[in-house]
Amino acid sequence: MNEEKPSPSSDFQGLIKPPSFLGLRVDRQSLIKHFFTGSAAVTILTLFLIMYSLLKEGTGFIPTYQFELKVYRQAGLEFCDFIQKPLTENTALLSKLNRAVNADTATLTQKAQVRRDALFLAKGRVEEKTARLREAVTEAVETANTPPEKLAQARQALNEANAKAVGEEAFPDVYSAEERRQIASDLGTLQPDAAEPPAIIKTLSAEFAEQDRIAKEKYAGFLEAVEAFEEATEPIVELHDGIAELAKSTKEAAVQQHMAEDAKAQLLAAAESAKTPEAKANFQKEADATSLEAIDYKGKIEPIVAKLPEYEAMVPTYVAAIKAAMEKVPQKGETKESTALINEVRKQLPKHLTHAEESPALMKAWQWDKPIPMVQALTAFLFGGDWITNSSWQDFYGVVPLLTGSLLIAVIALVIALPLSVGAAIYTNQFASPREQELIKPFIEFIQAIPSVVLGFIGISVVGDLIKETSNVAWLQWIPGFPVQERLNMFNAGLLLALMAIPTMFSLAEDAIQNVPRAFSEASEALGATKLQTVFRVIFPASLSGVFAAMLLGLGRIIGETMVVLLVAGNRIAIPDFSDGIGTVFQPAHTLTGIIAQELGEVSKGSSHWQALFMVGILLFTISLLINFVSRKVVKRFQLPKI
Amino acid sequence: MSSSSASTAAASSATTQPLLKINEVDFAYGARQTLFGVNMGIAQREVTAFIGPSGCGKSTLLRCINRINDMIEGARITKGNITLGNVDINHPDLDVIALRRKVGMVFQKYNPFPRSIFENVAYGLEVAGMKNKKLIAETVERSLRSATLWEEVKDRLHESALGLSGGQQQRLCIARTLSVRPEVVLMDEPCAALDPIATAKIEELIHQLKKDYTIVIVTHNMEQAVRVSDKTAFFYLGKLIEFNNTMTLFSTPENEQTERYLSGRMG
Repeated sequence: MNEEKPSPSSDFQGLIKPPSFLGLRVDRQSLIKHFFTGSAAVTILTLFLIMYSLLKEGTGFIPTYQFELKVYRQAGLEFCDFIQKPLTENTALLSKLNRAVNADTATLTQKAQVRRDALFLAKGRVEEKTARLREAVTEAVETANTPPEKLAQARQALNEANAKAVGEEAFPDVYSAEERRQIASDLGTLQPDAAEPPAIIKTLSAEFAEQDRIAKEKYAGFLEAVEAFEEATEPIVELHDGIAELAKSTKEAAVQQHMAEDAKAQLLAAAESAKTPEAKANFQKEADATSLEAIDYKGKIEPIVAKLPEYEAMVPTYVAAIKAAMEKVPQKGETKESTALINEVRKQLPKHLTHAEESPALMKAWQWDKPIPMVQALTAFLFGGDWITNSSWQDFYGVVPLLTGSLLIAVIALVIALPLSVGAAIYTNQFASPREQELIKPFIEFIQAIPSVVLGFIGISVVGDLIKETSNVAWLQWIPGFPVQERLNMFNAGLLLALMAIPTMFSLAEDAIQNVPRAFSEASEALGATKLQTVFRVIFPASLSGVFAAMLLGLGRIIGETMVVLLVAGNRIAIPDFSDGIGTVFQPAHTLTGIIAQELGEVSKGSSHWQALFMVGILLFTISLLINFVSRKVVKRFQLPKI
Repeated sequence: MSSSSASTAAASSATTQPLLKINEVDFAYGARQTLFGVNMGIAQREVTAFIGPSGCGKSTLLRCINRINDMIEGARITKGNITLGNVDINHPDLDVIALRRKVGMVFQKYNPFPRSIFENVAYGLEVAGMKNKKLIAETVERSLRSATLWEEVKDRLHESALGLSGGQQQRLCIARTLSVRPEVVLMDEPCAALDPIATAKIEELIHQLKKDYTIVIVTHNMEQAVRVSDKTAFFYLGKLIEFNNTMTLFSTPENEQTERYLSGRMG
C-alpha cells in the first residue's frame, strides 16, 4: 500500500524497547502486576505476623503455667483445696437454706414490714419537703432568747407545711381509715425537737417486732437447723485456715525465689554483654549477692500433711451434724419458693456428703512431689473448668467455661438466625417482586452497618428487660427457664448476635440460591411443578451446600464477635448448669472473645495471665480457621454443574 | 413476503385437523416485539421443525406453546392466540400446571436435577402427587425404555444423574419429559450440545417417539430438520416465512428468502 517500500530494518526497529527512565527498564504492565503482587504479599505477611505474635506470647504460657501448678502442688495449696471443696459446697447449700427460711418467715412478717416501711418512707418525704421550716424551728428553739410568740409562729408554719405534705402523700392500701387519720395527725405535727417518734410509728414498729418474734418462734426448728448446718463446718474451717496459711507462705516464698532466679539470670546476662570490665564486675557482684535459697518444700509440707488424721476424724462428725440438721429442716416449705429451694438442697446433699467423705482418701493418695508434666499444663488449660484470676489463693486458667459460653451463644444465635436468613433469602430470591427485592436487600444489609456496641446498648436497655418481663407472664411459665433471673444472659446475647449474623448469612444464602441454574427451575416448571414445588424440591436442595457455607461463615462471625457478648452475655465465668435443659440459655456466661477484651488491658505484660489470654486468642484463631476450612471444603465438594 | 401468504402455505399443508393452532400471534418481551402475526397449524403425531437464523423467534414461539415464557417478566402474547385441541392456552382460567403436563419440553442444554437417575424421572410424577411407589417405579422404567436409556442405566438408577454422558443426560431429560405422558413434546435444539454419535441416537429416538407423540423441534441444523421432521417452518425476523412439508420446502422452496437461507446466502 505504501508508495515506497521501507527498508526492513526501519520496519522492525520498534521491536526493541526504547531506553527508559534512569536506565531502569520500567514496564508499565509489570509495574501494575508488581503492585498487586505486593498487596497480596502484605496481606499474607500480616496474617503470618498475627500468627507469629500470638504463638510467641501464647506458647510461653505452657512452661509458666506448669511452674505455677507445680508450686500449687508442692506448697500444699492443692492439699488444702481437698478440704476447701466440701466447704464451698456447704456455703452454696447454706445460702439456699437461708433463702428458703427467709421466704418462709416473710409470709408472716411481710405485711407488718410493708406497713412500717411505707410509713417510714412517707415520714422521710414529708421531712424532706418541710426541711427549711424545720430548720427555722430548730434555730428558734436553740436560740436562747426567742420570744415565745415567734417560736409558736414557726411551729404553726411548720405544721401547716406538714399537713400539706401529708396531703400530697399517696399511701399504699395497707392502712385502715382510723390509721390513716392517725398518720395524718401524727405526721402533720412533726416537730424537729419532739422527744419521741410519732405514736403511730411506734405502734407499727412494735407490730413488726411482734410479727418477727412470732415468725421466729414458728420457724424456730427451721432456723435452728440452718444454724446447725452452718456451725457444722466450724472446726473444719478452722483447721483449713490454719494449714492454708502455711501453704500460702510457702507459695509466696517460692514465687519470691522464682523472681530472684529471674533477676539473677538477667544480671548474669547483663554481665556477659557488659562493655567495660568494671560494669561487668558490678553486675557479677550484684548477681552473686542475690541469694538463692532453695526452698525446703518437704520440711514445709510436713506440718500441713500432719493435720490429715485430725481432719479425717472431723469428717464423720461433720456428716452426722449435717444429717441431723437436715432432719430438722421441714419436708415442705411454707411457700413455693422455699419448697423448691429445700428440694434442691435435698437433691444435692448426697453428692456433697460423698465428696466430704471421700476427701480424706484423696488426700492420703496425694503426693506433694508428684511431678507435673508439660502436657498437664496444656490439658489443664484446655479442659480445666475454672477460670480464676487475681486470686489471693491460686489462679486457674481453664478455658472450658469460656468455650462453653462461646459455643452455646453461637448455637443460640445460629438457631435463631438460620431459619430467618434462609427464609428471607428464599422469599427475596424466588417470590419477591423486583420492587420488594429492591426494598428488602438494602434493609437487611443495613443491619450490618449498626455498630456492635450500639446493638449492645439495645441488648442491655431493651431486650434484657423484654426477656425478663416476658418471662414473668403467668401463662408463659411452661417455657423452660422461666421466670428468668438475669436480664443479661446467653439468650439475649444470642438474639443480638443472630441479628448481626443475618446480613452475612442472608446475602450468602441468597447468592447460593441465585447460583442455582435457571435451567433447573425451567425443567421443573416444564414438568408441571408449581412454583412452591420447584423452590422446595429443586432450587433449595440444589443450593444447600451454599446455604451451609453461608451458615458456617455466619458462625465464624458469631464466634468472633466481641462487643455484644461482652456487654450482654452477663459475664459470669462458670460452666452453665445444664440441668435446666433448654432453660440453660437464660443463664449468664462469659466468652472467649469477651474475656480477652475485658482482661487483656489490665494484666501486666508477660505474666501468666497475659499469656493465658494469648492462648485463648490462639484457640479462637484455630476455631475460626477450622470453620473457614470446612466451609471451603463443603462448597468445593458440592459444586453444581455449570449450565 | 407477507404473513398471509405464509398462512396459506400452512393451511394447504395441513391435511388433517391440526392439534395445535397458532392464530395470528404477536409476541413481545416488554416493549420489544419478537413475533409478528404467526399463523400455523401443527398436526398430531408428526414432527414439525422450526428453522431460521438466530433471533428469528422460533424458540420464542416454541416456549409460548407450554407457556414457559410466563417465567420471564414482561413476556406475553399481545395479539392472536394458540389453541391446543381447540382450547385457548392463554385463557385466564387455564390451569398452566395441567397444560405443562400435556405439553412437555426438552431444553437445549441437558439439565437433569443434581439427584439420582431414578429421582429425575420420578420428579414429574411426584409433583403431580403420585404416591404409589410401585406405579412410580413402573412409570420410570417405561419412560427410560421409551427414551432408549433403560439398558444403559438400569444397574445404576440410584446413582447421580450428573455422572452420565452428555447424550445420556439429554435422553434422561427426554425420559423425564415422557414420564408424565404429554401429548406434545417441545424440543429446543436438543442436540446443540451433543457430539454426532449422541445426536444420531437422539434423532433415532425422535423417529420412534413420533408414533406416540406430537413433536415440535427447533433446530439450527438443516440436515437434522430433513432427517427427523415431516413438516418444516422457516422463520425470519419474527415472521413465519414458509411452512410446508419438509421435502417440498427443502427441494422447492416457494419463497425467495427461504431459498437464500437454505443455500447459505443468508443467516
